[in-house]
Amino acid sequence: MTTQLPPGIQLEKIDDRIMTLNVGPQHPGSGHMRLIIKVDGDYIVSCDPDPGYVHRGEEKMAEYRNYIQNVPHLERPVIHDSSNILYPYCLAVEELLGIEVPERAKYVRVIAAELNRCIYTLYWLAIYGIFLGHSTMFMWPAGDRELFIDLLEAMSGARVTHAYLVPGGVRNDLPANFEERCLRQVDYFEKRLKEYQAVFYKNPILISRTEGTGILSRTDAIRLGTTGSVLRASGVNFDIRKKEPYDVYENLDFETVVMKEGDSYARSYVPYLEMFESCRIIRDAIRKMPKSGSVRTKLKPNPKGGNEEVYKRVESGRGALGYYVVSNNRPEPYRVKISVGSFRNLICMPYLLKGELLGNMPAVYWSLNYWPVEADR
Amino acid sequence: MSTAGGIIRALNSGIKHLAIRRFTLRYPEQKLKFVGDGFQFNPETGVGIAGLRGRHILYHEHCTGCQLCSVACEGIAEAIGMVKVNETWKQNKKAIMPQIDYGKCVFCGLCVDACPFYALYMTNDYELSSFTKSALIYTPAQLAIKPKISQDVEIKIDDRGATHG
Ligand code: SF4
Ligand code: SF4
Repeated sequence: MTTQLPPGIQLEKIDDRIMTLNVGPQHPGSGHMRLIIKVDGDYIVSCDPDPGYVHRGEEKMAEYRNYIQNVPHLERPVIHDSSNILYPYCLAVEELLGIEVPERAKYVRVIAAELNRCIYTLYWLAIYGIFLGHSTMFMWPAGDRELFIDLLEAMSGARVTHAYLVPGGVRNDLPANFEERCLRQVDYFEKRLKEYQAVFYKNPILISRTEGTGILSRTDAIRLGTTGSVLRASGVNFDIRKKEPYDVYENLDFETVVMKEGDSYARSYVPYLEMFESCRIIRDAIRKMPKSGSVRTKLKPNPKGGNEEVYKRVESGRGALGYYVVSNNRPEPYRVKISVGSFRNLICMPYLLKGELLGNMPAVYWSLNYWPVEADR
Repeated sequence: MSTAGGIIRALNSGIKHLAIRRFTLRYPEQKLKFVGDGFQFNPETGVGIAGLRGRHILYHEHCTGCQLCSVACEGIAEAIGMVKVNETWKQNKKAIMPQIDYGKCVFCGLCVDACPFYALYMTNDYELSSFTKSALIYTPAQLAIKPKISQDVEIKIDDRGATHG
Protein backbone atom coordinates (compact mmCIF):
# COMPACT_ATOMS: atom_id res chain seq x y z
CA MET A 1 0.00 0.00 0.00
CA THR A 2 1.36 3.37 -0.89
CA THR A 3 -1.43 5.56 0.41
CA GLN A 4 -0.17 8.53 2.35
CA LEU A 5 -0.97 8.19 6.02
CA PRO A 6 -1.85 11.25 8.08
CA PRO A 7 1.06 12.45 10.21
CA GLY A 8 1.43 10.65 13.50
CA ILE A 9 -0.30 7.46 12.34
CA GLN A 10 1.74 4.34 11.65
CA LEU A 11 0.69 0.94 10.42
CA GLU A 12 2.16 -2.24 11.74
CA LYS A 13 2.98 -5.15 9.49
CA ILE A 14 0.87 -8.17 10.13
CA ASP A 15 3.84 -10.48 10.70
CA ASP A 16 5.52 -8.19 13.21
CA ARG A 17 6.08 -9.81 16.58
CA ILE A 18 5.90 -6.50 18.35
CA MET A 19 2.57 -4.82 18.83
CA THR A 20 2.03 -1.25 20.01
CA LEU A 21 -0.67 -0.63 22.56
CA ASN A 22 -1.99 2.73 23.59
CA VAL A 23 -2.97 2.49 27.21
CA GLY A 24 -5.08 5.58 27.52
CA PRO A 25 -5.42 8.51 27.28
CA GLN A 26 -7.64 7.44 30.07
CA HIS A 27 -8.55 8.55 33.53
CA PRO A 28 -7.15 5.98 35.93
CA GLY A 29 -8.73 7.60 38.94
CA SER A 30 -6.49 10.61 38.94
CA GLY A 31 -6.34 12.48 35.64
CA HIS A 32 -5.67 11.61 32.05
CA MET A 33 -2.44 10.09 30.86
CA ARG A 34 -1.26 7.70 28.20
CA LEU A 35 1.30 4.93 28.06
CA ILE A 36 2.57 3.77 24.71
CA ILE A 37 3.49 0.18 25.34
CA LYS A 38 5.14 -2.22 22.92
CA VAL A 39 4.45 -5.86 23.69
CA ASP A 40 5.89 -9.12 22.50
CA GLY A 41 3.20 -11.61 23.39
CA ASP A 42 2.45 -10.96 27.02
CA TYR A 43 5.74 -9.23 27.80
CA ILE A 44 6.40 -5.52 27.65
CA VAL A 45 9.32 -4.63 25.40
CA SER A 46 9.23 -0.90 25.91
CA CYS A 47 7.05 1.69 27.52
CA ASP A 48 6.88 5.34 26.66
CA PRO A 49 4.85 7.44 29.08
CA ASP A 50 3.08 10.34 27.44
CA PRO A 51 2.02 12.94 30.01
CA GLY A 52 0.58 16.36 29.27
CA TYR A 53 -3.14 15.78 28.79
CA VAL A 54 -4.09 17.78 31.86
CA HIS A 55 -1.69 20.68 31.50
CA ARG A 56 -3.39 23.72 32.99
CA GLY A 57 -0.73 26.37 32.76
CA GLU A 58 -0.56 26.86 36.52
CA GLU A 59 2.88 28.44 36.31
CA LYS A 60 1.81 31.00 33.74
CA MET A 61 -1.39 31.76 35.62
CA ALA A 62 0.63 32.50 38.72
CA GLU A 63 2.36 35.39 36.94
CA TYR A 64 -0.90 37.32 36.58
CA ARG A 65 -2.20 37.05 40.12
CA ASN A 66 -0.95 38.56 43.31
CA TYR A 67 0.63 36.48 46.04
CA ILE A 68 -2.65 35.79 47.85
CA GLN A 69 -4.84 35.29 44.78
CA ASN A 70 -2.47 32.56 43.70
CA VAL A 71 -3.47 30.40 46.65
CA PRO A 72 -6.74 28.86 45.38
CA HIS A 73 -5.50 27.91 41.94
CA LEU A 74 -2.10 26.58 42.96
CA GLU A 75 -3.69 23.82 45.00
CA ARG A 76 -5.68 22.54 42.03
CA PRO A 77 -3.05 20.14 40.65
CA VAL A 78 -3.49 17.80 43.64
CA ILE A 79 -6.69 18.66 45.38
CA HIS A 80 -6.28 15.63 47.65
CA ASP A 81 -3.01 16.98 48.97
CA SER A 82 -3.87 20.65 48.81
CA SER A 83 -2.04 21.67 51.98
CA ASN A 84 1.22 20.11 50.93
CA ILE A 85 1.20 21.59 47.47
CA LEU A 86 0.68 25.05 48.92
CA TYR A 87 3.23 24.60 51.67
CA PRO A 88 6.42 25.35 49.70
CA TYR A 89 4.70 28.26 47.95
CA CYS A 90 3.89 29.78 51.33
CA LEU A 91 7.42 29.17 52.61
CA ALA A 92 8.93 30.74 49.50
CA VAL A 93 6.67 33.79 49.51
CA GLU A 94 7.27 34.29 53.22
CA GLU A 95 10.99 34.46 52.58
CA LEU A 96 10.55 36.76 49.57
CA LEU A 97 8.31 39.19 51.40
CA GLY A 98 10.10 38.86 54.73
CA ILE A 99 7.06 37.62 56.66
CA GLU A 100 7.44 36.17 60.16
CA VAL A 101 5.06 33.30 60.85
CA PRO A 102 3.62 32.97 64.38
CA GLU A 103 4.76 29.87 66.26
CA ARG A 104 1.27 28.45 66.65
CA ALA A 105 0.62 28.82 62.93
CA LYS A 106 3.66 26.65 62.21
CA TYR A 107 2.23 23.81 64.27
CA VAL A 108 -1.23 24.22 62.77
CA ARG A 109 0.32 24.06 59.32
CA VAL A 110 2.14 20.86 60.18
CA ILE A 111 -1.08 19.29 61.47
CA ALA A 112 -2.92 20.33 58.31
CA ALA A 113 -0.13 19.00 56.11
CA GLU A 114 -0.02 15.63 57.88
CA LEU A 115 -3.80 15.22 57.83
CA ASN A 116 -3.70 16.01 54.16
CA ARG A 117 -0.89 13.57 53.52
CA CYS A 118 -3.04 10.83 55.04
CA ILE A 119 -6.02 11.88 52.93
CA TYR A 120 -3.87 11.68 49.85
CA THR A 121 -2.29 8.36 50.77
CA LEU A 122 -5.66 6.80 51.54
CA TYR A 123 -7.03 7.93 48.22
CA TRP A 124 -3.97 6.57 46.50
CA LEU A 125 -4.32 3.29 48.39
CA ALA A 126 -7.99 3.02 47.44
CA ILE A 127 -7.09 3.37 43.79
CA TYR A 128 -4.26 0.89 44.19
CA GLY A 129 -6.73 -1.59 45.62
CA ILE A 130 -9.16 -1.21 42.75
CA PHE A 131 -6.31 -1.34 40.21
CA LEU A 132 -5.51 -4.79 41.52
CA GLY A 133 -9.17 -5.78 41.57
CA HIS A 134 -9.40 -5.69 45.36
CA SER A 135 -12.64 -3.78 45.88
CA THR A 136 -12.60 -4.08 49.68
CA MET A 137 -9.36 -2.16 49.66
CA PHE A 138 -11.12 0.50 47.65
CA MET A 139 -13.99 0.86 50.12
CA TRP A 140 -12.02 0.84 53.36
CA PRO A 141 -9.53 3.63 52.70
CA ALA A 142 -12.19 5.68 50.90
CA GLY A 143 -14.36 5.38 54.00
CA ASP A 144 -11.65 6.00 56.56
CA ARG A 145 -10.53 9.01 54.61
CA GLU A 146 -13.71 10.62 55.83
CA LEU A 147 -12.23 10.81 59.34
CA PHE A 148 -9.49 13.13 58.13
CA ILE A 149 -11.67 15.03 55.69
CA ASP A 150 -13.96 15.72 58.63
CA LEU A 151 -11.05 17.09 60.66
CA LEU A 152 -9.74 19.29 57.89
CA GLU A 153 -13.25 20.48 57.20
CA ALA A 154 -13.56 21.60 60.79
CA MET A 155 -10.18 23.30 60.52
CA SER A 156 -10.45 24.98 57.16
CA GLY A 157 -14.11 24.97 56.20
CA ALA A 158 -13.74 23.03 52.97
CA ARG A 159 -13.76 19.32 52.35
CA VAL A 160 -11.21 19.01 49.58
CA THR A 161 -9.83 22.29 48.29
CA HIS A 162 -8.89 23.85 51.57
CA ALA A 163 -6.99 27.01 50.60
CA TYR A 164 -5.97 26.94 54.25
CA LEU A 165 -2.27 27.70 54.18
CA VAL A 166 -1.47 31.24 53.10
CA PRO A 167 1.74 33.23 53.13
CA GLY A 168 1.89 34.45 56.72
CA GLY A 169 0.31 31.47 58.45
CA VAL A 170 -3.10 29.87 58.13
CA ARG A 171 -6.48 31.38 57.33
CA ASN A 172 -8.17 30.76 60.66
CA ASP A 173 -7.47 29.35 64.08
CA LEU A 174 -8.49 25.86 65.12
CA PRO A 175 -12.11 25.54 66.25
CA ALA A 176 -12.92 24.85 69.91
CA ASN A 177 -12.29 21.26 71.07
CA PHE A 178 -10.46 20.47 67.89
CA GLU A 179 -7.54 18.86 69.70
CA GLU A 180 -9.68 16.23 71.45
CA ARG A 181 -11.66 15.48 68.33
CA CYS A 182 -8.47 15.16 66.31
CA LEU A 183 -6.80 12.84 68.82
CA ARG A 184 -9.90 10.66 69.07
CA GLN A 185 -10.22 10.25 65.33
CA VAL A 186 -6.49 9.75 64.78
CA ASP A 187 -6.40 7.03 67.47
CA TYR A 188 -9.34 5.27 65.91
CA PHE A 189 -7.79 5.59 62.48
CA GLU A 190 -4.60 3.91 63.65
CA LYS A 191 -6.65 0.98 64.88
CA ARG A 192 -8.36 0.75 61.53
CA LEU A 193 -5.09 1.04 59.71
CA LYS A 194 -3.81 -2.10 61.42
CA GLU A 195 -6.77 -4.01 60.00
CA TYR A 196 -5.53 -3.27 56.49
CA GLN A 197 -2.67 -5.66 57.15
CA ALA A 198 -4.61 -8.93 57.04
CA VAL A 199 -6.95 -7.96 54.28
CA PHE A 200 -4.42 -6.36 51.95
CA TYR A 201 -0.76 -6.28 52.82
CA LYS A 202 -0.53 -9.84 54.15
CA ASN A 203 -2.93 -11.10 51.51
CA PRO A 204 -1.13 -13.75 49.43
CA ILE A 205 -2.89 -12.57 46.28
CA LEU A 206 -1.51 -9.06 46.62
CA ILE A 207 1.91 -10.39 47.49
CA SER A 208 2.00 -12.64 44.44
CA ARG A 209 1.10 -9.74 42.19
CA THR A 210 3.45 -7.15 43.58
CA GLU A 211 6.41 -8.87 45.18
CA GLY A 212 9.38 -8.95 42.86
CA THR A 213 7.70 -6.92 40.10
CA GLY A 214 9.20 -3.70 38.86
CA ILE A 215 12.35 -3.80 40.95
CA LEU A 216 14.15 -0.47 41.20
CA SER A 217 17.62 -0.84 42.65
CA ARG A 218 19.11 1.68 45.05
CA THR A 219 21.61 3.00 42.51
CA ASP A 220 18.97 3.27 39.80
CA ALA A 221 16.63 5.10 42.15
CA ILE A 222 19.33 7.68 42.83
CA ARG A 223 20.51 7.84 39.23
CA LEU A 224 17.02 8.41 37.86
CA GLY A 225 16.37 11.12 40.41
CA THR A 226 13.25 9.60 41.95
CA THR A 227 11.86 10.98 45.16
CA GLY A 228 9.43 10.28 47.95
CA SER A 229 8.13 6.83 48.75
CA VAL A 230 9.67 5.38 45.58
CA LEU A 231 13.12 6.43 46.71
CA ARG A 232 12.59 5.24 50.27
CA ALA A 233 11.25 1.89 49.08
CA SER A 234 14.56 1.40 47.27
CA GLY A 235 16.54 1.74 50.47
CA VAL A 236 17.51 5.42 50.40
CA ASN A 237 16.91 7.22 53.65
CA PHE A 238 15.78 10.55 52.30
CA ASP A 239 12.91 12.58 53.64
CA ILE A 240 12.89 16.36 53.35
CA ARG A 241 11.11 16.60 56.68
CA LYS A 242 14.25 15.11 58.23
CA LYS A 243 17.00 16.30 55.90
CA GLU A 244 15.92 19.93 55.45
CA PRO A 245 13.34 20.44 58.19
CA TYR A 246 10.95 23.28 57.54
CA ASP A 247 8.67 25.01 60.04
CA VAL A 248 8.64 22.87 63.19
CA TYR A 249 9.42 19.41 61.86
CA GLU A 250 12.76 19.37 63.66
CA ASN A 251 10.98 19.54 67.03
CA LEU A 252 8.69 16.65 66.23
CA ASP A 253 9.25 13.03 66.89
CA PHE A 254 8.96 10.71 63.91
CA GLU A 255 10.95 8.30 61.84
CA THR A 256 11.64 7.88 58.16
CA VAL A 257 10.29 4.63 56.76
CA VAL A 258 12.81 2.87 54.55
CA MET A 259 12.55 -0.52 52.83
CA LYS A 260 15.27 -2.24 50.89
CA GLU A 261 13.38 -4.37 48.37
CA GLY A 262 12.54 -1.71 45.79
CA ASP A 263 9.69 -3.72 44.27
CA SER A 264 6.04 -2.75 43.84
CA TYR A 265 5.19 -4.28 47.18
CA ALA A 266 7.72 -2.12 49.02
CA ARG A 267 6.54 0.94 47.14
CA SER A 268 2.98 0.27 48.20
CA TYR A 269 3.96 -0.57 51.78
CA VAL A 270 6.09 2.51 52.51
CA PRO A 271 3.22 5.04 52.17
CA TYR A 272 1.10 2.79 54.39
CA LEU A 273 3.74 2.75 57.13
CA GLU A 274 4.19 6.48 56.73
CA MET A 275 0.58 7.01 57.70
CA PHE A 276 1.47 5.68 61.17
CA GLU A 277 4.30 8.22 61.31
CA SER A 278 1.89 10.96 60.23
CA CYS A 279 -0.40 10.01 63.10
CA ARG A 280 2.60 10.24 65.42
CA ILE A 281 3.48 13.69 64.09
CA ILE A 282 -0.09 14.93 64.53
CA ARG A 283 -0.18 13.70 68.12
CA ASP A 284 3.20 15.19 68.90
CA ALA A 285 2.34 18.51 67.25
CA ILE A 286 -0.89 18.81 69.23
CA ARG A 287 1.07 18.18 72.43
CA LYS A 288 3.82 20.69 71.67
CA MET A 289 1.68 23.38 70.08
CA PRO A 290 1.41 26.73 71.91
CA LYS A 291 -2.11 26.76 73.32
CA SER A 292 -2.89 30.29 72.21
CA GLY A 293 -1.53 33.04 70.07
CA SER A 294 -2.03 34.45 66.64
CA VAL A 295 -2.06 32.14 63.62
CA ARG A 296 -1.69 34.65 60.83
CA THR A 297 0.56 37.62 60.29
CA LYS A 298 -1.36 40.56 58.95
CA LEU A 299 0.00 41.56 55.56
CA LYS A 300 -0.22 44.87 53.78
CA PRO A 301 -2.75 44.82 50.97
CA ASN A 302 -1.04 43.73 47.75
CA PRO A 303 2.39 42.99 49.27
CA LYS A 304 5.36 43.35 46.92
CA GLY A 305 8.52 41.31 46.86
CA GLY A 306 11.97 42.71 46.15
CA ASN A 307 14.23 41.66 43.32
CA GLU A 308 14.87 38.19 44.67
CA GLU A 309 14.41 34.53 44.01
CA VAL A 310 13.74 31.72 46.44
CA TYR A 311 13.54 27.95 46.20
CA LYS A 312 11.74 26.00 48.90
CA ARG A 313 10.76 22.39 49.01
CA VAL A 314 8.74 20.14 51.25
CA GLU A 315 7.95 16.46 51.47
CA SER A 316 4.54 15.91 49.90
CA GLY A 317 2.61 12.69 49.58
CA ARG A 318 4.48 12.04 46.34
CA GLY A 319 7.96 13.14 47.30
CA ALA A 320 9.90 16.37 47.16
CA LEU A 321 7.74 19.26 46.03
CA GLY A 322 9.55 22.50 45.32
CA TYR A 323 8.61 26.01 44.33
CA TYR A 324 11.00 28.40 42.71
CA VAL A 325 9.53 31.89 43.01
CA VAL A 326 11.08 35.00 41.46
CA SER A 327 9.80 38.45 42.35
CA ASN A 328 10.53 41.77 40.68
CA ASN A 329 9.12 44.60 42.81
CA ARG A 330 5.57 43.95 41.73
CA PRO A 331 2.59 42.51 43.59
CA GLU A 332 2.63 39.52 41.25
CA PRO A 333 5.48 37.03 41.12
CA TYR A 334 7.69 37.28 38.05
CA ARG A 335 7.98 33.53 37.70
CA VAL A 336 6.70 30.53 39.63
CA LYS A 337 8.25 27.19 38.80
CA ILE A 338 6.74 24.14 40.39
CA SER A 339 8.89 21.05 40.65
CA VAL A 340 6.72 18.08 41.54
CA GLY A 341 7.43 14.57 42.78
CA SER A 342 5.07 12.85 40.35
CA PHE A 343 6.99 13.98 37.31
CA ARG A 344 10.27 12.78 38.78
CA ASN A 345 8.91 9.34 39.46
CA LEU A 346 7.39 8.99 36.02
CA ILE A 347 10.85 8.61 34.54
CA CYS A 348 11.21 5.14 36.08
CA MET A 349 8.31 3.74 34.07
CA PRO A 350 10.29 2.72 30.97
CA TYR A 351 12.93 1.08 33.19
CA LEU A 352 10.57 -0.76 35.48
CA LEU A 353 8.15 -2.06 32.90
CA LYS A 354 10.71 -3.49 30.49
CA GLY A 355 10.37 -7.28 30.54
CA GLU A 356 7.37 -7.19 32.86
CA LEU A 357 4.09 -8.97 32.14
CA LEU A 358 1.46 -6.67 30.70
CA GLY A 359 -0.87 -7.73 33.51
CA ASN A 360 1.56 -6.34 36.07
CA MET A 361 1.49 -2.91 34.49
CA PRO A 362 -1.20 -1.42 36.79
CA ALA A 363 0.55 -2.74 39.88
CA VAL A 364 3.83 -1.11 38.85
CA TYR A 365 2.31 2.06 37.46
CA TRP A 366 0.28 2.99 40.50
CA SER A 367 2.98 1.98 42.96
CA LEU A 368 5.02 4.89 41.59
CA ASN A 369 2.74 7.29 43.40
CA TYR A 370 2.21 9.16 40.18
CA TRP A 371 -0.46 11.81 39.90
CA PRO A 372 -0.96 12.88 36.27
CA VAL A 373 -2.53 16.24 37.02
CA GLU A 374 0.31 17.22 39.29
CA ALA A 375 2.93 16.09 36.81
CA ASP A 376 1.36 18.23 34.08
CA ARG A 377 0.70 21.23 36.36
CA MET B 1 2.67 -18.05 55.99
CA SER B 2 0.80 -20.43 53.77
CA THR B 3 -1.27 -19.09 50.91
CA ALA B 4 -4.48 -20.71 52.12
CA GLY B 5 -3.91 -19.41 55.65
CA GLY B 6 -3.37 -15.91 54.34
CA ILE B 7 -6.51 -15.95 52.27
CA ILE B 8 -8.55 -17.25 55.20
CA ARG B 9 -7.15 -14.54 57.44
CA ALA B 10 -8.01 -11.91 54.82
CA LEU B 11 -11.57 -13.23 54.46
CA ASN B 12 -11.93 -13.45 58.22
CA SER B 13 -10.89 -9.84 58.59
CA GLY B 14 -13.55 -8.86 56.07
CA ILE B 15 -16.24 -11.04 57.69
CA LYS B 16 -15.67 -9.32 61.04
CA HIS B 17 -17.01 -6.22 59.37
CA LEU B 18 -20.47 -7.74 59.16
CA ALA B 19 -20.72 -7.05 62.88
CA ILE B 20 -19.36 -3.53 62.68
CA ARG B 21 -21.81 -0.70 62.29
CA ARG B 22 -22.05 1.13 59.01
CA PHE B 23 -19.91 4.25 58.69
CA THR B 24 -21.61 5.67 55.60
CA LEU B 25 -23.36 8.99 55.96
CA ARG B 26 -26.93 8.59 54.72
CA TYR B 27 -27.18 11.88 52.91
CA PRO B 28 -29.71 13.55 52.39
CA GLU B 29 -31.58 12.01 55.33
CA GLN B 30 -28.57 12.78 57.49
CA LYS B 31 -26.50 15.92 57.25
CA LEU B 32 -23.16 16.58 58.84
CA LYS B 33 -22.94 19.09 61.63
CA PHE B 34 -20.36 21.79 61.09
CA VAL B 35 -18.37 23.96 63.41
CA GLY B 36 -19.93 27.41 63.92
CA ASP B 37 -22.13 29.37 61.52
CA GLY B 38 -19.78 29.37 58.59
CA PHE B 39 -16.45 30.96 57.84
CA GLN B 40 -16.09 34.49 59.16
CA PHE B 41 -13.26 36.94 59.22
CA ASN B 42 -12.12 39.54 61.68
CA PRO B 43 -10.47 42.37 59.74
CA GLU B 44 -8.97 43.84 62.90
CA THR B 45 -6.76 40.88 63.73
CA GLY B 46 -6.60 39.62 60.16
CA VAL B 47 -7.51 36.10 61.24
CA GLY B 48 -10.57 34.13 60.21
CA ILE B 49 -13.02 32.24 62.40
CA ALA B 50 -13.38 28.54 61.60
CA GLY B 51 -16.54 27.43 59.87
CA LEU B 52 -17.80 25.83 56.72
CA ARG B 53 -17.20 27.79 53.55
CA GLY B 54 -20.63 27.48 51.98
CA ARG B 55 -22.83 30.09 50.40
CA HIS B 56 -22.15 33.73 51.39
CA ILE B 57 -24.26 35.97 53.53
CA LEU B 58 -24.30 39.71 52.94
CA TYR B 59 -25.23 42.16 55.66
CA HIS B 60 -26.74 45.07 53.78
CA GLU B 61 -26.51 47.36 56.79
CA HIS B 62 -22.69 47.03 56.81
CA CYS B 63 -21.83 46.92 53.12
CA THR B 64 -20.32 50.15 51.85
CA GLY B 65 -20.06 49.21 48.20
CA CYS B 66 -16.28 49.49 48.39
CA GLN B 67 -15.85 46.67 45.82
CA LEU B 68 -12.89 45.15 47.66
CA CYS B 69 -14.55 41.73 47.60
CA SER B 70 -15.03 41.98 43.86
CA VAL B 71 -11.39 43.03 43.38
CA ALA B 72 -10.22 40.09 45.52
CA CYS B 73 -12.17 37.65 43.40
CA GLU B 74 -10.94 39.11 40.11
CA GLY B 75 -7.91 36.87 39.87
CA ILE B 76 -9.63 33.85 41.37
CA ALA B 77 -12.99 33.13 39.78
CA GLU B 78 -14.45 36.49 38.77
CA ALA B 79 -17.64 35.41 40.48
CA ILE B 80 -18.50 38.72 42.10
CA GLY B 81 -20.12 41.54 40.18
CA MET B 82 -21.25 44.79 41.73
CA VAL B 83 -24.91 45.60 41.05
CA LYS B 84 -27.21 48.52 41.83
CA VAL B 85 -29.66 48.00 44.66
CA ASN B 86 -32.89 49.88 45.34
CA GLU B 87 -32.04 50.60 48.92
CA THR B 88 -30.72 53.66 50.66
CA TRP B 89 -28.06 53.16 53.25
CA LYS B 90 -26.06 56.07 54.47
CA GLN B 91 -22.80 54.15 54.36
CA ASN B 92 -23.45 53.04 50.79
CA LYS B 93 -23.79 56.21 48.70
CA LYS B 94 -23.38 54.51 45.34
CA ALA B 95 -25.98 51.88 46.30
CA ILE B 96 -23.97 49.00 44.86
CA MET B 97 -23.57 45.60 46.44
CA PRO B 98 -21.95 42.32 45.42
CA GLN B 99 -23.82 39.72 43.42
CA ILE B 100 -22.23 36.28 43.38
CA ASP B 101 -22.34 33.76 40.56
CA TYR B 102 -22.11 30.31 42.13
CA GLY B 103 -21.47 28.80 38.73
CA LYS B 104 -18.00 30.30 39.02
CA CYS B 105 -17.28 30.61 42.75
CA VAL B 106 -14.75 28.13 44.12
CA PHE B 107 -15.63 28.79 47.77
CA CYS B 108 -12.15 29.89 48.71
CA GLY B 109 -13.46 32.61 51.01
CA LEU B 110 -10.80 35.14 50.05
CA CYS B 111 -13.54 37.72 49.40
CA VAL B 112 -14.54 37.33 53.05
CA ASP B 113 -10.90 37.98 53.99
CA ALA B 114 -10.98 41.11 51.84
CA CYS B 115 -14.10 42.75 53.26
CA PRO B 116 -13.04 45.30 55.88
CA PHE B 117 -16.58 46.17 57.10
CA TYR B 118 -17.91 42.87 58.54
CA ALA B 119 -20.41 42.74 55.68
CA LEU B 120 -19.61 39.50 53.88
CA TYR B 121 -19.38 36.11 55.60
CA MET B 122 -20.02 32.54 54.59
CA THR B 123 -22.70 30.15 55.82
CA ASN B 124 -23.24 26.43 56.30
CA ASP B 125 -25.50 26.24 53.24
CA TYR B 126 -23.89 24.09 50.57
CA GLU B 127 -26.94 22.81 48.67
CA LEU B 128 -26.92 25.24 45.80
CA SER B 129 -27.64 23.08 42.78
CA SER B 130 -30.22 24.32 40.31
CA PHE B 131 -31.59 23.45 36.90
CA THR B 132 -30.60 26.70 35.24
CA LYS B 133 -27.37 28.63 35.19
CA SER B 134 -29.15 31.90 35.87
CA ALA B 135 -30.54 30.55 39.13
CA LEU B 136 -26.97 30.21 40.37
CA ILE B 137 -26.50 33.96 40.29
CA TYR B 138 -27.42 35.22 43.76
CA THR B 139 -28.50 38.85 43.95
CA PRO B 140 -27.71 40.96 47.03
CA ALA B 141 -31.27 40.38 48.24
CA GLN B 142 -30.86 36.59 48.02
CA LEU B 143 -27.47 36.78 49.70
CA ALA B 144 -29.00 38.59 52.68
CA ILE B 145 -31.25 35.65 53.59
CA LYS B 146 -30.03 33.51 56.47
CA PRO B 147 -30.14 29.88 55.36
CA LYS B 148 -32.34 27.42 57.22
CA ILE B 149 -30.31 24.37 58.00
CA SER B 150 -30.79 21.21 59.99
CA GLN B 151 -27.42 19.57 60.28
CA ASP B 152 -26.87 17.42 63.32
CA VAL B 153 -24.92 14.29 62.46
CA GLU B 154 -21.37 13.89 63.78
CA ILE B 155 -18.79 11.13 63.64
CA LYS B 156 -19.17 8.98 66.76
CA ILE B 157 -16.52 6.53 67.83
CA ASP B 158 -17.09 3.62 70.20
CA ASP B 159 -15.86 0.05 70.64
CA ARG B 160 -17.86 -1.18 67.69
CA GLY B 161 -16.29 1.29 65.33
CA ALA B 162 -17.10 4.72 63.99
CA THR B 163 -20.52 5.78 62.78
CA HIS B 164 -22.30 8.84 61.59
CA GLY B 165 -25.10 9.34 64.03
S1 SF4 C 1 -15.33 32.52 47.73
FE1 SF4 C 1 -13.57 32.87 46.37
S2 SF4 C 1 -14.35 32.40 44.34
FE2 SF4 C 1 -16.16 32.64 45.65
S3 SF4 C 1 -16.76 34.76 45.41
FE3 SF4 C 1 -15.37 34.68 47.16
S4 SF4 C 1 -13.31 35.10 46.32
FE4 SF4 C 1 -14.66 34.58 44.62
S1 SF4 D 1 -19.23 43.18 50.90
FE1 SF4 D 1 -17.55 44.17 51.99
S2 SF4 D 1 -15.88 44.30 50.49
FE2 SF4 D 1 -17.75 43.86 49.35
S3 SF4 D 1 -18.51 45.87 48.71
FE3 SF4 D 1 -19.55 45.38 50.65
S4 SF4 D 1 -18.25 46.29 52.23
FE4 SF4 D 1 -17.01 46.23 50.35
